[in-house]
Amino acid sequence: MSVLRPFKATDMFKFNNINLDIWTETYGIGFYLSYLSRWPDLCCVQESPNGQMMGYVLGKAEGAGIEWHGHVTAITVAPEYRRLGLARKMMNLLELVSDELYKGFFVDLYVRCANKVAVEMYEGMGYSVYRRVREYYGSLGNGRGGRDDEDAFDMRKPLSRDPNRISVRPNGRDVIVSAQDVS
Amino acid sequence: MSAAAVALDRQIRPVYDALDTGSNKSAIVTCNKLLKKYPRHELIKALKALALVRSQKIEESLVLCEEVLELKPTSDATLTAMMHVLRGLGRHKDMVKMFEEAYKQQPHNEELGIQNFFANVRASQWKSAQLVATRMHKQFQDDRYLYWTVISTVLQAEEHGTPLQLRELLYKLAHRLVVSSPTPSYVNSERFHLHLSILLKLDLIDDAHKLLDSPVGRNICATNLSCNELRREVWKLKGLIQEEGDSAKGLILDKDDRNWLEFLSVLDATFADLADKGTDPSEEALDVTRARIRDTEQLFLKVVEKDGLRDRTGLLSLLELEKRSRAHGLSSDENRLITLLQEYLEKFSHKPSCHQDLLSYTQLKGDELQKWKTILDSFSFSFSTEDELARVINLLKLQRHNLLPSEITHDAETARAALYTEKYLQGLKFGATLPSTELQPADDLALLAATSYVSLWKLTTDDGYLYSAVALLEYALIKSKQSYSAKLMLVRLYRLLGAPAQALEHYRALRVKQVQNETLSYFILSRTSMFSSAAIGDLTFASECLEANQIYLTNSQETGDFIIRAFSAEKYSQIPEFVTFEDRLENSLQRDLIKIEHLRMRLAHENIISDIVDLELIELKFIFDRVHHDNRDTNVLPSYQPRSSPDFNTQTLLFDIYEGHGFLRTFLKLYIRCLQQGSDLDDTVEEKLLIGDRPKKRPDVPGDLSLRDRLCERSEEDLKELTQDEVSLVEFAGALGDWLEKYHDYARPHPSAVLAEASKQTELKTGHPLKGLEIPVSNGNGHKKDEEVPAFVEPPELIVRYFDEMKTKFNELKDASSPVEALHVAAIVQEAFLILVVESLRFKNQTVVKQNKLGNLAASIKSIRTNAIANLKEISVGLIKRSESECTAESRKAFVEECSMVIDAGIDHDFVLGVAKKGLDARKKVLEGFGKGIARICTNYTTN
Repeated sequence: MSVLRPFKATDMFKFNNINLDIWTETYGIGFYLSYLSRWPDLCCVQESPNGQMMGYVLGKAEGAGIEWHGHVTAITVAPEYRRLGLARKMMNLLELVSDELYKGFFVDLYVRCANKVAVEMYEGMGYSVYRRVREYYGSLGNGRGGRDDEDAFDMRKPLSRDPNRISVRPNGRDVIVSAQDVS
Repeated sequence: MSAAAVALDRQIRPVYDALDTGSNKSAIVTCNKLLKKYPRHELIKALKALALVRSQKIEESLVLCEEVLELKPTSDATLTAMMHVLRGLGRHKDMVKMFEEAYKQQPHNEELGIQNFFANVRASQWKSAQLVATRMHKQFQDDRYLYWTVISTVLQAEEHGTPLQLRELLYKLAHRLVVSSPTPSYVNSERFHLHLSILLKLDLIDDAHKLLDSPVGRNICATNLSCNELRREVWKLKGLIQEEGDSAKGLILDKDDRNWLEFLSVLDATFADLADKGTDPSEEALDVTRARIRDTEQLFLKVVEKDGLRDRTGLLSLLELEKRSRAHGLSSDENRLITLLQEYLEKFSHKPSCHQDLLSYTQLKGDELQKWKTILDSFSFSFSTEDELARVINLLKLQRHNLLPSEITHDAETARAALYTEKYLQGLKFGATLPSTELQPADDLALLAATSYVSLWKLTTDDGYLYSAVALLEYALIKSKQSYSAKLMLVRLYRLLGAPAQALEHYRALRVKQVQNETLSYFILSRTSMFSSAAIGDLTFASECLEANQIYLTNSQETGDFIIRAFSAEKYSQIPEFVTFEDRLENSLQRDLIKIEHLRMRLAHENIISDIVDLELIELKFIFDRVHHDNRDTNVLPSYQPRSSPDFNTQTLLFDIYEGHGFLRTFLKLYIRCLQQGSDLDDTVEEKLLIGDRPKKRPDVPGDLSLRDRLCERSEEDLKELTQDEVSLVEFAGALGDWLEKYHDYARPHPSAVLAEASKQTELKTGHPLKGLEIPVSNGNGHKKDEEVPAFVEPPELIVRYFDEMKTKFNELKDASSPVEALHVAAIVQEAFLILVVESLRFKNQTVVKQNKLGNLAASIKSIRTNAIANLKEISVGLIKRSESECTAESRKAFVEECSMVIDAGIDHDFVLGVAKKGLDARKKVLEGFGKGIARICTNYTTN
């Protein structure tokens, strides 16, 4: 029971119930406006029938040549609306648009290596680890999860333009790169 | 580039480097050196002007700025530097002029055309933007410029205050332009979106349908949610409800689409024949609908079967179907709703959203409500797994939602609070090993308990229940450090209890940033001046205001750039959205409520002198005619109160009032009038001295009403947003203004004298007198000699008695359980006194009094001030005395005793004692700080 609709600039006035959650970053307005001024079709919201925001995704299209792809910059769901498959629905849209409109070769996203639930969820959606990025989330010191908290998995899912699946590889977890190499 | 030019270029580079790194001083020094060599060089002058603006040396910068503008620059570097200068000075209109001139000089320079267009966009001058784009389209033949013309025309139509007829004309023009385009709009989904939105505005539904019903139209909608949104609207307006329903069915069945919008389309189609509410439906229509309901039910049942427990949409759509069938009297089974609700509970009550999902289907009454309650009761309320805990939470919330007023009694609520607390403590075991970043699965039970305590407080007015709520929520925060709901609730409760420091601590822990300040800062900044000890130099809340204000500066600096980016990238669907966003922040109600609070604190904090009066006056006048938008987020606070009772947000508003447009208008009027009377700046002076663009004139303000008349207008509706004491302040200020007006008008120096003085000051600073200022010959000492001195009139009783009466009121309230009311009265009396100070500033000057023969008036004011100070001193003593009784061992003990229910439930006594200590200490501090502040103001203005 959720409405999938485009993310609008004025949603910034409505997203507190999502963004007050500790894992969701609130960026400067320029961040959201820059996504909307370039890739409005890759940014969408899930909303409850009474108009409350449940989650949103912000994405972009980037890369050159066979690296041209859709990228999930932020995906988040409010705590009370988790475990309802909302993220999957938003990912479906982002994949559809990346595939059919942008004609990307794949969609990729970054996720904390420690976030097992999320990694498994993305695997369930057809994503696989392409590489591990050292200290992508900054060096946190000796946190609870250690390196797994600092490092990110770059996960990819090939789209129809990559029928031979050249954008993914089976041993991605063993391929380690530094954060500078990807940004 | 010649060798000389290269050399110069090399010499200028350090200026840019200095500007980039914020070393404005060094930039100025380098520019000065270069200007000796190249005294007429426009770029160096422009860069120096920029460095000066950034060093806040406005007057000096203005001189250079004018010089460069006179040279009518066309070089990209100079124009860019000047763009930053003019932005810094708030002179968007001059920026437009500058680019206009440049483009005029080089009409073949496309880049200058674009810059000219963007300057208009920045200044929201859509009409001129449209003209520039039209010219560019003719000249450069790029379709992009045609679409820029179109969107500028649309934005002009949508501007606040555009008359309806003109609006329609503009849309028609936009339409004509779109169809004149050599390439069809559908080559680009964003152009297509713009085209469709214009057709919708003009009600050209058939045209829109034709476009959308083409293969390319369908293609675009398949991957573009924004266009698809418009398509849905067109289909609805064209009455294609059945077709839309059929297509939605296909998406639901074949593509597993679970977007609720598709389900709504199916439902709309099901009941389409009954949509006309004006007439009774025919038997035939009813039969058709019955058959459709059966079909739809089959479809939804298939979804339920297919999705199982994976997705709840199917079952919810059955509920919606039944709800609508009932609304039309077509339900075939009176138990159907209850059966479906029960099924939903059985399948999905372990999902946290279950309670929210069902709310709109559980507005039940009579026997059905009874049945529903029986079903809820029939579930087990014990839990041994996390899923079962989630189910219990949902059951309790749903039970609470449907409580009748007769069930919300003292005993019943007490029992519920105890039950919620007990379950909460039991439920904590499921989160025992979670990292501190996670939320406890049992959290909502603590929120429910707090909600119950607030109900009890409302029922009994006994603050002890608020203590209990606070103690429990504080405990919940120990267990669930990131629970923003608990924090927000605590912010509210601590303010009610007069413990602002604790409220602030929790507010800060939310780490509110960026745009969230706009929607959330009201939690802490609403009526914040009454909690501020600004008078003794504690600027905590004043800085909080400044911090929250940052977002508005960011908005005015950045959003315009992104509007321009959206133009460059031709994202037409976003441009109106960005414009709305910018406008909603620029003209935000919260922004100006903060401004008022900040002003109230500033007047208490600083020694009131004419500079402050002038500056604040100008700022408030800028705000006065804004059409304000209220973006405050009132939905973020969870409410689990029964539907028969007000929600948590309403219940915990300070003084039961949500201040809004009326509050703001009233205080703006009050302060503008007061500051205007105290100031020497009349409109003519202000017009001459003010730098930067003026606010746009509001078309809906009647032209024959003077500002003075508007300031004196009183709206009973607006006053409803004020407390009784605030209303008394308005009356006091009004009476004071009426009494002193003629003396101010008589004694105020002539504008020519004010301007001459301003020019003199500028010359002292910059070496140049004010430009463009023709100072009329002054007629001697300034005041209007031909007029008679206004006769002295005794002050109205209201003013004379005000301070005595307010002190009496303070004395009545000062020993109440919560000190908030007394504090409020104290703050209002202090404010009334500061208003008196502003209003009497002019008459403190002996020369003015003598020159204008206002001796009687000055004496009368003095006696009012003396009496006011005597009363304020007593209030100050009262506050300090009260502060001494807060946070004593005895009061802490009393607090803890009030929390016996929480302690009996198992929360540690010492923990509650700690909460008591912090809360009461915060109270003590605010009372002491405010009391001392009043004392300081008394001392300050006794001698001053």
